[in-house]
Parts: sequence; C-alpha cells; structure tokens
Amino acid sequence: MSADSTAPIPVSVLTGFLGSGKTTMLRHLLTQPEFARTAVIINEFGEIGLDHELIEASEDSFIELMTGCLCCKIRSDLAQTLAELLRRRDAGRCTQFDRIVIETSGLADPAPILQTLMTDATVAGRLALGNVVTTVDTVNGLATLGREEISRKQVAVADRLVLTKLDMAGSSDSALLGQLAALNAGAPVVSADHGQVAAPLVFDAGLYDPQTKSMDVTAWLKGSAYHHAHHHHHDADIRTFAIVREEPIRAVTLTLFLETLAEHCGADLLRLKGIVNIAESASPAVIHGVQHVFHAPAFLERWPSDDRRSRLVFIARHIPQAWVEVLLAALDAEVAAVAHASAPV
Amino acid sequence: MNEADRDLPRELLAESLLAWRIAGSVAREHDGTLVIDEAAKSIRIDPGEHPMFRWMVTVDGRKRGAVSLVAVLRQVREALDPGYATQRVRVAIAPLVPS
Repeated sequence: MSADSTAPIPVSVLTGFLGSGKTTMLRHLLTQPEFARTAVIINEFGEIGLDHELIEASEDSFIELMTGCLCCKIRSDLAQTLAELLRRRDAGRCTQFDRIVIETSGLADPAPILQTLMTDATVAGRLALGNVVTTVDTVNGLATLGREEISRKQVAVADRLVLTKLDMAGSSDSALLGQLAALNAGAPVVSADHGQVAAPLVFDAGLYDPQTKSMDVTAWLKGSAYHHAHHHHHDADIRTFAIVREEPIRAVTLTLFLETLAEHCGADLLRLKGIVNIAESASPAVIHGVQHVFHAPAFLERWPSDDRRSRLVFIARHIPQAWVEVLLAALDAEVAAVAHASAPV
Repeated sequence: MNEADRDLPRELLAESLLAWRIAGSVAREHDGTLVIDEAAKSIRIDPGEHPMFRWMVTVDGRKRGAVSLVAVLRQVREALDPGYATQRVRVAIAPLVPS
C-alpha cells in the first residue's frame, strides 16, 4: 500500500505507568506488517534514556525526546518534533510513514499531549487524533492504581487498555478488571502475550479511519458500557458516566453547556466524547473535548443507527453526574424560555 | 414552564454547591427568588428584575446583573470559592475529523 502524502496521519498515544510494558509491546508491534510505516516518538524521563535502545525502528522515522516529561515541560518540543517529522516526510528524507505513535514516559499525563495535538497550528490539518492505548501491568497494576493518581488518569483517558505481564501473574485479577471498569468502562481490554498483541486490536480504534475516510462513532463512544459501570464506583475520584437525552438539544444550549463545563471543571474534565442531536440540524454532531479544549463539532452525513438520542460520555474527576445532568436541563429550559419570550406573537 | 422546570435553577445551584464542595443550602421563595444560606456569604438571586438581565445577583448587599444561569453560576462561585480561577473554553485548531 502506498501512502497518500496528503492524507491526514493518525497519531496515537501509547501510555501506561512505569514498568507496565509499553516499550516491550511497541517493540513487538513494530515487527508486524501493519506497523511497517510507523514513525515513533519516545519520551523518556531522566538523563539516560534506555527505551529507545530497545526499539528497532528505522532511525530516520524515530525520534527520542529526552528533555523531560512530555506532559509538563516540553509540549512545544512535541509540536516541533511532529512538525520536523512531517518536513522530513514531505522532503522524502525518511520513510513515508502513515502512522505516528507517541510513547509517553510512565509518569506522563496524556491529557496535555492530546491537547497539543488538538491546538498546535503547525501540525493541525496534517495529523488526525488517533487513539490512546494504555498498558496495565497485571502484577502490580492494582496497587499502582490505588497509589498513583497519574496511573488512574492514564487508564481513564484510554480508548484501549492492554493487560501485560499475564505470564507472570498467571491470570488477570478480577479486582484489577473491576477497577479498570470503574475507571473506564468504555475502553475494551485486550491482553498482550509476552508483550505481543495484534496491531489492529489496539491501534485501529480511533474515531476516524484513514483507510475508509469514515467515522465509527458507535465503537468510539461505547455508550452502552457506561450503564453497567454506573453501579460499582461510588468512591472513585475518577468516574465515567454517560448522559443520554431523548429530545434534541438546541445549538445555543450545547454551546453554553460546553462553556460552563470548561469554565467550572477545567482539568477535572479528562475527556468528553459525544454524539448530539442538534435541534437546528438534520445531521448529528460529534463532539470531543479534553479538559477545557474542545474540537469544533464534526457533523456526520447521517446517523450511524436508528438511535437518535444524544449521548455524551464523560471521563471526569470530582464531577458529579447529577450536576452535569441538572446543568444541561437548566440551561435547556432557560434557552427555551428566552426563545419563547422573544418569538413573534 | 412547568413546576419542575421552574425549580431547575434552585436544583442547579444546590448541585453546584455540592460539586464545588462548598457548604450551603439553596431555597426558592414564592416569587422565584433564590437564596443561598449557611454559606460564607449571603447571596440572593432575583429573577426578571431588570430588562437587560434575566437575573440580579446580590452578594453581601452588592447587586450585579446576570444575563443567564451561566453568569449566575460564575458570580456565585466567585463569591464562595476563593480558589476558583475561571478557565475559558478553547477551541482546537485541528479538526476532529480531517476534511
């Protein structure tokens, strides 16, 4: 398959806590044919990076970022690195890669990395947001999740969760699986066998499929998963939940709703995904936000199924579902009242 | 507007105090005025008192207009949550899906 040099390139983020098997999995993935045209950016934290020594990739499409933790110190470096990769590709100075994978340091918060991909003018338009894959060590994962806030965030924002070190643990722990479901019910869990996992299982799960140039909103949202998860995570600081609305939502209401979420929740709104029945539009809108940064809604040509309800999936910390629900209802009622009052008699 | 809708602003403020972990209770008076009690400051929110504003928010005697519930929430939180720093929504440059 030859790469279309003008087609947007999906960028996926591979994250997971220290020692959770990111590099081992990536090393195996890069040997698979589906990963042959992949550029890799590895962020190592510390003066002496080792992970890049473990990866066999062509050097011209491999960049190591070692100046600090990707999420906090060198966001601009990431944007510059991506821009440099694109320049090399455009000039024919490296493999014509059709995918980029960013392996974060084990201590990185993936949310600011997603924001960089969403907001940097030098790479916008050339890249498409791929998915977030998080590795979870089955030996130490449960203890790590209990101890490390950053580990919980890495799990919460994932589109795919990969269990690693099953060969050492013997089997996946039901308590660990329960914790993963509590933090992120919508992300399918796959297992890596000695670090090996089929590439399509983990990296072909983004909203946009560059091969078909279409969107798979249903798989992206995994809305049905959240009803089950509602019952067993009352004490978690990070929660996933879904808001479902039968009636169409006015565009003004949606705007005010998103503005208010950004204003009052900020960093606690880890991710928001949704499909919205906009009252003024025959086409549904897909929305996506990370903390206070939101994409402009993307309008689908048609509904993906007969289900015309608006569905909003929240991955949030310290944000009560009841507040989100009453906020939307109250704003909708106020907008309706204003529209009614200003309507011609 | 039905009774449930009329009570939504009170419900929203009550849930907001819980979400922001701020002590206080919210009551709705017969004319629709909302009163926040037991909080650090005395707050009243009067509906429809001014032609330009849907709400008038009075905090410790100081009155300010609010064009919508969004503005009411902002004023109430600014009054009750000293650590609150508003964060405006930012629209991504990159499209959600490539065109």
